[in-house]
Order: sequence, then structure tokens, then C-alpha cells
Amino acid sequence: MDHDIARARPLSTTGVGASLPRKEDRRFLAGEGEFVGNIKLPGMLHVAFARSAVAHGRVLAIHKPAGFEGAVFTMADLEAGSPPVGPIRVLSSLPGFKPSSQWPLARDKVRQVGEPIAMCVAATRAEAEDIADAVVVDIEDLPAVVDMLQARDAPPALVHEEWGDNIFLETLVEGGLKGDEFEALKGSAAVKVHRRLRTARQSMAPMEGRGVVCTWNTRLDQLEMYTAAQMPHINRAGLSETLGIDQASIRVIAPDVGGGFGYKGILLPEEICLAWLTRHIGRPVKWIEDRREQLIANTNCREHHYDITVYADARGRLLAIDCDSVIDSGAYSSYPFSACLEAAQVGSILPGPYKMEAFRCRTWSVSTNKPPILPYRGVARAGVCFAIETLIDAAALAAGVEPHEARLASLIEPDEMPYDNITRKHFDSGDYPEAIRRAMEAIDLPAWRARQGTPEPDGRLIGVGHAVFCEQAAHGTSVYYGWGIPMVPGHEQCGARMTPDGRLELRIGAQSHGQSLETTLAQVANEILGIDPAHVRLVHGDTGVTPYSTGTWGSRSMVMSGGAVAEACTLMVERVRDIAAHLFQVPLDQVVLAQGRVSDRAGVQSLTLAELAHVWYRQPQRLPPGVNPAGLEVIGGYKARVDTGTFSYACHAVAVAVDPGTGAVELLDYVIVEDAGTLVNPMVVDGQIYGGTAQGIGTALFEEMRYDSQGQPLASTLADYMLPGATEVPAPRIIHMETRSPYTTFGQKGMGEGGAIAPGAAIANAVNDALRPLGAELTELPMSPRRVMAAIAAAGSAAGAVAGRGAA
Amino acid sequence: MTTIRLTVNGQPIEAEVQPRTHLADFLREQQLLTGTNLGCEHGICGACTLEIDGAPARSCITYAIDCEGASIRTIEGFDGDAPMAALRAAFSTEHALQCGYCTPGMLVTARDIVTRLPGAPEARIRKELSGNLCRCTGYAGIVRAIRAVMAQSGTPSGPGLASVRPVAPTAP
Repeated sequence: MDHDIARARPLSTTGVGASLPRKEDRRFLAGEGEFVGNIKLPGMLHVAFARSAVAHGRVLAIHKPAGFEGAVFTMADLEAGSPPVGPIRVLSSLPGFKPSSQWPLARDKVRQVGEPIAMCVAATRAEAEDIADAVVVDIEDLPAVVDMLQARDAPPALVHEEWGDNIFLETLVEGGLKGDEFEALKGSAAVKVHRRLRTARQSMAPMEGRGVVCTWNTRLDQLEMYTAAQMPHINRAGLSETLGIDQASIRVIAPDVGGGFGYKGILLPEEICLAWLTRHIGRPVKWIEDRREQLIANTNCREHHYDITVYADARGRLLAIDCDSVIDSGAYSSYPFSACLEAAQVGSILPGPYKMEAFRCRTWSVSTNKPPILPYRGVARAGVCFAIETLIDAAALAAGVEPHEARLASLIEPDEMPYDNITRKHFDSGDYPEAIRRAMEAIDLPAWRARQGTPEPDGRLIGVGHAVFCEQAAHGTSVYYGWGIPMVPGHEQCGARMTPDGRLELRIGAQSHGQSLETTLAQVANEILGIDPAHVRLVHGDTGVTPYSTGTWGSRSMVMSGGAVAEACTLMVERVRDIAAHLFQVPLDQVVLAQGRVSDRAGVQSLTLAELAHVWYRQPQRLPPGVNPAGLEVIGGYKARVDTGTFSYACHAVAVAVDPGTGAVELLDYVIVEDAGTLVNPMVVDGQIYGGTAQGIGTALFEEMRYDSQGQPLASTLADYMLPGATEVPAPRIIHMETRSPYTTFGQKGMGEGGAIAPGAAIANAVNDALRPLGAELTELPMSPRRVMAAIAAAGSAAGAVAGRGAA
Repeated sequence: MTTIRLTVNGQPIEAEVQPRTHLADFLREQQLLTGTNLGCEHGICGACTLEIDGAPARSCITYAIDCEGASIRTIEGFDGDAPMAALRAAFSTEHALQCGYCTPGMLVTARDIVTRLPGAPEARIRKELSGNLCRCTGYAGIVRAIRAVMAQSGTPSGPGLASVRPVAPTAP
């Protein structure tokens, strides 16, 4: 393995490997970011939506307030246009998938609280909200389908009547031994552990909500839409399909976007509504999602249920997994990822980085009267990691070994890489056992075990736990084509243009909303062209000027856009050398480009990039015949040599103190051993890990979107939905390994999501380790004080029942 | 409409406002000062933090008409301010921002911490930051930046916490 081996080239201070300060920072520190909410267009009007107050019902009538009939629009209005506006329908080629029809404004039924019913427009947002408040909707209530298991097994109603059930999709993934051989393995396994686990529904809650500003450009006969989006080219495609206008007539611009995490990787009903409205009324229009809309009306994430059994040998070595998993996908299948992504991912990634003899996982994507779910940072991996890693700990306990010993006995070994696992996931590289060994050393497991031997003075219970995971990233065509959803990533392009003063413009179709691509892709350009990163300008998130891209999701941008930028810059090197060879009147092989300067090998003639660009654009009379007429503008395209994804991975190890009197959990120490291959900008990588881990701590301990039996959301403010603050999040210690991906341009691996994946599992293992003397165990996330106390109480009553029987 | 007179970033202003308009909307929509971002509009997230009469305040739960006679300073009003200049540099060096949306409010709070509590230990810094949410950075860089500015000012932050979390968790 080549992790930790000295780098092949010297460490750059400006190129790949440099912790270069971010080019983005200046405008944000000055308060000059251009978020959608800051955009004002002449004559712009404001939109507010009248939304459903009930989770499930039939819309009988919508009454527009008297005097404001011209300011209120319903689906009937949108359908009356030519062409009529259609519903969001995400088709999938997965067998048995049932698509939903999500009308941008509710037509016959409402299927979740907050579903938009009427669009109201006025000179100010406040006035638009006044009008929305005056819209009266007659709704015949229907029973709300709230719990996903009930929705599957004994539904009180059908969310989509035409289906006949509430199942978007059922899948079965099997690998290894089957049938009688699987049954024999189960029968002979020394260790069998079974759990029912749940993870809460969450809200992704970026600090900036969604927002749309749009206008119809009559000169270009084109919709111009500013929207807080992660994948603007996908939004354009979805707008085209629902509005019935061609894609060239739509320009989607994602300006500065205040955090995404998956929440902004979606075609919005509100985008469709405003696109129709601006054309209909001939005025620019604006809608900014407020926090209440963000929390109660728009999409959630991550509500999983696992009924899982793990089989292991007497040493705790994993033999088989048998699992039924249910995902609460909510009311609709969102564009483009569909309602099936989460559950299908559960089925394929549950084995994690482990070897085993047999695997079976059946999944159900269930529809309920709650908002749709979207893939949140890490997508299904956070839930999957919680499931497999708590079960590994349980198996280790049953086998009487330390949890890390059970993991070391089961992990893929470095000399087996690349490795195709039991669900045919192709692991590109890595040394997982070493990550665990380093994490155990860094957290100092023996010291915590020793401390557990003595009661704490404050009565708290000490626990230590860890979790390991793999993060498949930048996976492409071969992984996604089979899903048949509206988005299959293919080749990624970068347009590169040298300006007459020798600066470089890079145009990519992905979007940077905190990931720092304006800096890191300039570092890639520096690595190839030697150009000062300060002289590189990244243009992103604008369909009008950038190549098509599926956008920023799945930790793909540094691999895909990074690879495309490298390809474009490599082409640019050849263009520069060709022009220089003609100018210098020397053979092409006598021209070299280094440190942003092109020279002949004799060292006689030399030009800066600025001087060469000046000649090309401003003094073309100096260019002899035969020079490449294509000039200093190129398109570079990229796809990883093997496109099944890079595999970053990490081991998170944590020590906790649990207060058995209050249920409070304190994180005493937190160690992350992470391997993301070549780090293009280590500072940025650490920032992604810190931030992801904070979100994962939210998943583990705090964040929960609860609903009552009527499907009413119980968190409508950030006082009810608790995001971790500076006092809840420790400063983790990060230890890097570096196993380069064999398939990517610089050996880099996608890593934006990993931090958020493991905290739930690692902290759960630590909390359960702490509670073991009480016989209590947590099986649900988040591990709020209420749940900790309930687990302790349940253990106490179970112990009491045993004691009671003994006395009788 | 009500007429109010106040000072915004050193400039005296007289303006007509609706009684229901909050300060952030007044600044963003009427004064075109869009550096103050709105995160929740119910006083929890701290993104809209600015200075009213020299103290940090949440502009989303402050009515503009309540600011009669007040002196307001937004993120646009710190040119030439030494602590803010040091914080801006440290925020960049320590990677204390990613998407940049919480940053203006975070900077105003950070400036209050470094000027009001020089030498504060990390635990106190984190407690002071607890009214400003960031969804991107995990606060690591923000805390480091504040400590760095305190150290530059000759008032180094008190004992670091290495890996140990600073204060008892807040129960949800």
C-alpha cells in the first residue's frame, strides 16, 4: 500500500496539496455575498404561498380573497396556460417503482402539511403573506399516514390511491450464500444478534433556506432564474419538463448559496410556480423560503427502520447479515433523486467495508403524509453505519471480544484491494484495519477501560466507542444508469479560456456552496499550468455559460470537476506550447511551460502567459501560418478511469460521559482517522470533516423532526429543532492517512460527506458501552436525554421483573 | 407608516417604516444593506446579528420603529475597525467560514467576544458563541480564529481544551 509514502512531487504551496486560503472568503467577510435573498430586479414583486394546514385531505374548494382575485393563483390557473404546467413526476426504471404526481400547487389532494395550494403575489412579502392568510381552502380531512411501519402493514389510508398500497418501491439485495446454505450458516453461527433500530426524521437546515428570483428576458425569449440550487442544470431540465418549454429557453443561475447538504438538490414546486408567474404577469418575482417553511413544509431526510440480524463466529468475525429495512420517503418522489435512492442505497451499502459469507437485505420505500425526503450529507450511510456498527458491537459483546477486534477480523485487508464486496461494490483502495488501529491508539482505549473500573466522582458513566465506514463518492454512469432516474452522471466538462491579459477563466457546471471550489480548482489549474491561483476565476452554477453537469452532490466535485479542470488545463498547455513554438520558430518539443512561463529549451526565448495571450489576441499579425486556429479556449472532459466511485473512509472513536440522572451525554474526546487519498487542500478537507462531524453529532444526540398522530410537525422553529451549537460540538482530533485512488487524476477521493456518517454509530456505541452496567441499550437516534432515560428505565423495569420472578 | 430617525453605519437616516417591519428587513430592503443575512427570523440562529448602540443584537426580532435614536452598525460598517480587520484575517486563515451565510453575524459576535472578554478561555468563547449557529464549519475554525485574535492582541485565550469538550451539554 502506498499510504503515507512520501509524495511523488514536492509539496506545492499553491497547487495540489497546499492549504491555500480561500479566494471566496473576501466577499463573505465583507458581507458582500450574493445570495438569492439579496437580488433585486426592477419592478420585482414578492410571492408567498398559502399552504396546507392538514397532512392529508381532499381539496374541495379554494376561495380567493375578495378584491385580490388577480393576485392569487391556483393549479387551475397554471394548467390553463399554454402549454399547461404539469406535475413533477420522477420515473425510475427500477422494477416495481411507483411514481407520484406532485403538482406544483395542490390540485385534488394535499398529502402533507405545508403543501403549497395557492400562490399570492404583492409588492412586498408582508403584503403577499397577508393575502395568503386570507385564502380559504375547503378540505375534507382524510386519515393521516404517519408511521412508516403502519403505512406498510396496516395503512389507515392510501397516500396515492391509484397505487393500492403505500409502497414506492420494494427491493431485495442478496449476495454470497443463498437458500439452504444461508440457513445452514445461520444455524451454525456461534453468535447471533438481532435488533430493531430507528433513526429520526431530520431537517437538513442549511443556514440559508431556498429562494427563487426570476424574470422573463424578452430579448432572449428566455426564463432567467436565480435559485439557491446545488445542481442548476438539473433544475433547468426539470423546469423544461414541467413547464413544457425547451431547455435553451431557460437559464438557471445558482449564485452564492448558503449551504446545501442535499437540501438544495431538488426541483422545487416553487421554482415551477414562479417561472410560470413571471411570464404570466410580466414582472420579475421573488420567493424566499422562511425558516418555518423550511422546517414544516419542505423536505426532510433520514428516517430509517432496521430489523436486522447479524451472524458471527466465536471471535466476533462477521459471517452474515439478514435485514429488513423500511425508509419513510414521505409524500412525493422528488426530482431528480426519486423516493427510492435512500432505500436502494441501504440495500447495497449495508455490508460496509466488511467481508462476509452471506447477505440479504429487503427494503421498502414507504409513502407517508410527511414531506418528501432528500439525500442528506452521507445519504443512507449515516443510518446504515448506525445499523451495522451497533450490531458489530453487539456481536463483539456476545463473542466476548473488544469491538475493534471483531472489526479487525472482518474488514477488507489492504492487500485485497481493489476489492469487490458481497454487493459488488468496487473498493478502489484503502487500509481500513490501520485506520482502526490508529484510532484505538489515539483515543487510548486502555486508559478509558481503566477509568471505567472506578466510579466517577460525579456519578456519571464513562463509555468509549467507535465506528468505521466507507464513503463511496463521485460514482458515475455505471452506478446510476440502472436507476433510470432523470439524472445519470456521465463525463464532466470544464471550459477554460485564457483572457487577453493572461488570466484564466474556468467554467464548470457544478456549483460551490461552501465546498471552496473557487480555490481548490484554481489550485488544480496552478498544478497543471503554473498560473497563479489569484489569476484564475471560476465560473460555476450558471447554465447559461457552463457545460452541462449533474451538479454538486455525492462528494463528486473534487474528483469530477477537478478532473475536468485538469483536462482542460492540459489541453491549454498544448495550445500555449503550439503558439509559442510558432512564435519562437522552434520545434514543439523544444517548448516547455513551467511556473506560468513558456520558454524554449535553450533558454533563449521566454514569454509569460500574459505576454503570450497578448500576442494571440492583440498582435495576431505576429503569428505565422500553421498555428492552431482554435486559440486559447478549450473544453476538457473527464470521467474516472473506473467510474464506480472513490472510497474514502474513516474511523471515528469517541469517549463519553452519560449522566444516568438526566440522560445528558457529554463528549469527552473525539478522534477521527480519515483517508481521502490525495488532499488537494488539506485545510478545506479538515473543514469538511469538522462540519460534517458537527452535523453527525446533531444526528446522534439532538436533531429530530417529530410528527403527531395527525401528521402535524412538532418542530416549527429552531427552538424546537435543535441544531448543534459551539457548546455541543467538540473540536475533534483529525489524523490523516493518504491512500491515493488509483482511478482519479491526482489520487484524490471525494470526502465531503464522511464527517456526517459515523458520529451516530460511534456515539451510540460509546453510550451503550457506558450504560452496559445498567443493562440499558439505546436503539434509536437521536440519543436525547428522554431516550437515554427511557432506556435506563426500561432496563430497570426488566431487571425488576427478573428480580421479582426470582423472589416469587 | 412611522417616521424614524437613527444612525446606520455612521450616517444619520430618516425613514418611513411600517410598524411591523423588523430591523433586518428595513436595512436590507430599504437601506440596501444586504450584508445582514436572515437565517430564522425568530431570534435563534444569530445570522442577523448586528450592533445596536455598540452591543450585538438580533435584527430579526428588533422592530425598526424601536430603533428611534439608535446607532446601528452592520457588517458593512466596520471599515477601519482594527478588531474586525484582525478577525476577518483570522477567519480566513483558520477556515472559519464555508458557505459564508452565518459569517456576518458570526463576525459581529466574535468582535464582541474579543473586545469585551479579552483572554477568555475556550469554554467561555464557545458559550458566548452559542447564540450563533453555523451549519458548515463545526465551529472549530471560528473558535481558533477568535483565540488567534486574542493572542495577537496580547490577551491570549485561557487554557485550551485539547480534545476535551468545554462545557456541560445543553439538554435538547
